[in-house]
Amino acid sequence: MRKKLFLFLLFLLVLVCATPSFAKGTQLNYRLKWLFNASVAGDIYADAKGYFSDVGLDVTVKEGSPEKNAINELELGYADFGVASADQVIRALDKGAKIFVIAQLFQVNPMQWIYRTDQPEIKTLQDLKGRNIGITFGGNDETIMNTLFAKGGITKKDVTITGVRFDFTPFFMRKVDVWPVYRNSQGVILKSKLAREGEDVYFFNPADFGVNFVANSVVTSEEMLKNNPDLVEKFLNALLKGWEAAMDPENGEIVLEAVKKLDKSTNDVIRKKQLNATRDLIKPSVSIRIGTIDISAWKQTEVIMLKEKQIKKPVNIETHLIQVK
Amino acid sequence: MLFRRIYQFLIVYIIGISFLLMIKMGLSLSDYVIPGVPLILETAGQVFKEYFFDVMNTMSVAVLGQCLSIILAFTVGISGRKSSWVGSFIKVTAYNIQAYPIVALAPIIFILLGDGFIPRLLIASMICYFPLLLSVLGIMATPVADIEHFYIVTGRMRWQLEVKIRAFENLSKLTTVISGSATLAMAGTIVAEFIAANAGIGYSIRIALYQSDLAKILVALFMIGIIISIYQGILETMGEQIKTRWSISKGGEVL
Repeated sequence: MRKKLFLFLLFLLVLVCATPSFAKGTQLNYRLKWLFNASVAGDIYADAKGYFSDVGLDVTVKEGSPEKNAINELELGYADFGVASADQVIRALDKGAKIFVIAQLFQVNPMQWIYRTDQPEIKTLQDLKGRNIGITFGGNDETIMNTLFAKGGITKKDVTITGVRFDFTPFFMRKVDVWPVYRNSQGVILKSKLAREGEDVYFFNPADFGVNFVANSVVTSEEMLKNNPDLVEKFLNALLKGWEAAMDPENGEIVLEAVKKLDKSTNDVIRKKQLNATRDLIKPSVSIRIGTIDISAWKQTEVIMLKEKQIKKPVNIETHLIQVK
Repeated sequence: MLFRRIYQFLIVYIIGISFLLMIKMGLSLSDYVIPGVPLILETAGQVFKEYFFDVMNTMSVAVLGQCLSIILAFTVGISGRKSSWVGSFIKVTAYNIQAYPIVALAPIIFILLGDGFIPRLLIASMICYFPLLLSVLGIMATPVADIEHFYIVTGRMRWQLEVKIRAFENLSKLTTVISGSATLAMAGTIVAEFIAANAGIGYSIRIALYQSDLAKILVALFMIGIIISIYQGILETMGEQIKTRWSISKGGEVL
């Protein structure tokens, strides 16, 4: 009996000792902000092409959703890296979270507004007057639109505000004129649907009117940055390599194939258009290196949130932006 | 009854908050993930009034929805109590339909009816209707043989009397079911508001969730809990009073 027990314990010991030799590499969890689609092509591509495993990392790329919050997961230890929007980052810092931004994925915020071309084009902020504008109450589009109103001297009496969700029916039925969309995902779908009905659209981009509200960025915890700087560098280099390759038009077909494996609900034509739209937002010009942190845009985002009373005190966001080389 | 409901809720709420605070301390989490007591109190001060009216708004829809579902459940339940083919058909249909998750229909309702009062009312009614119907059907379809036998053999049995006998004999059960359905109606309304409405506490919770503001959510949960406890307490007290009055009017003892 004792002999059997000894053998069993020995077997367990061998199993435990042997496990690390079978492990592919350092295990990491990376929580995205949104569902798998072409807007996260770089994240998917880095994983699919083995860029993470090439540097000894075993990264699990996890899909995001409106309810999932990468910053919460960083603190709770469920994720090592994540994607969060600038407003999430600044709010978290305001409440004492110890996080750092290590790369800014979107150089142009995909949060824009769509409207039909049978309406006058919005060339100045004054052109917003008299329109029925959709806003996701509580979302960052509300903050952005309020900033635009303040900048244009527009009061709530000058426009009609309608609270919106994921259901586009009020826009299709023309109850709402100007509808908030993510330019590279919902924007593409809506544009295609309206095109089938013989309608064309414009996109209203707040950045064109001087409001640069930063969108998705890669974040990690202070602990990770302090204790494992090499790991952070390895992860980020592999990730940005994935993004650079994914945004290269020459790799378009392979990237679309990789995205398709995870996003089966979108058709090929839409997926391709989404990838093209994402390219313009991630790498608006050849000279911009993917991941570049636009410090002035971050500062402006903080100022906007402070003015809109989204945060109580300045968080000195520039001290939480780390441009990893 | 009323106070018991309130302090029961307070105990549960305090245990819940303490549990969260223990996690916060144990894992050294920031206020962003789990807010501390000072932040919860500060947030409560800021949103108390707004959330109170939001909960009252939700509550009004829930109460109306519950009343509708009670009327409907009793109408269908009384019609379906017989062992005729109509009764059997109603029972089978009710059992089958209640197995379908009503919340799954919510997006369709919102697409067809848009944001507003009617979709919230409809979802609240639908969510509390089926559990109520099943209970009412069960009660109304079960004869109280000892009492009913007398009226049947003396030829004085009418359907109204049959319903009264069965309702009175199961009054505690009915009160509990109706009181319990208040929670369902409230939950249904909150879910509806969370999905697509533009008013009510569910809508406010969704906005707080967008901003990852757990302090606001905890304040909202407190308001919901307190107000629904009061409502349920009132329903139970009313049930007791009705039972007492019925007993007196029938020459029975005061309960």
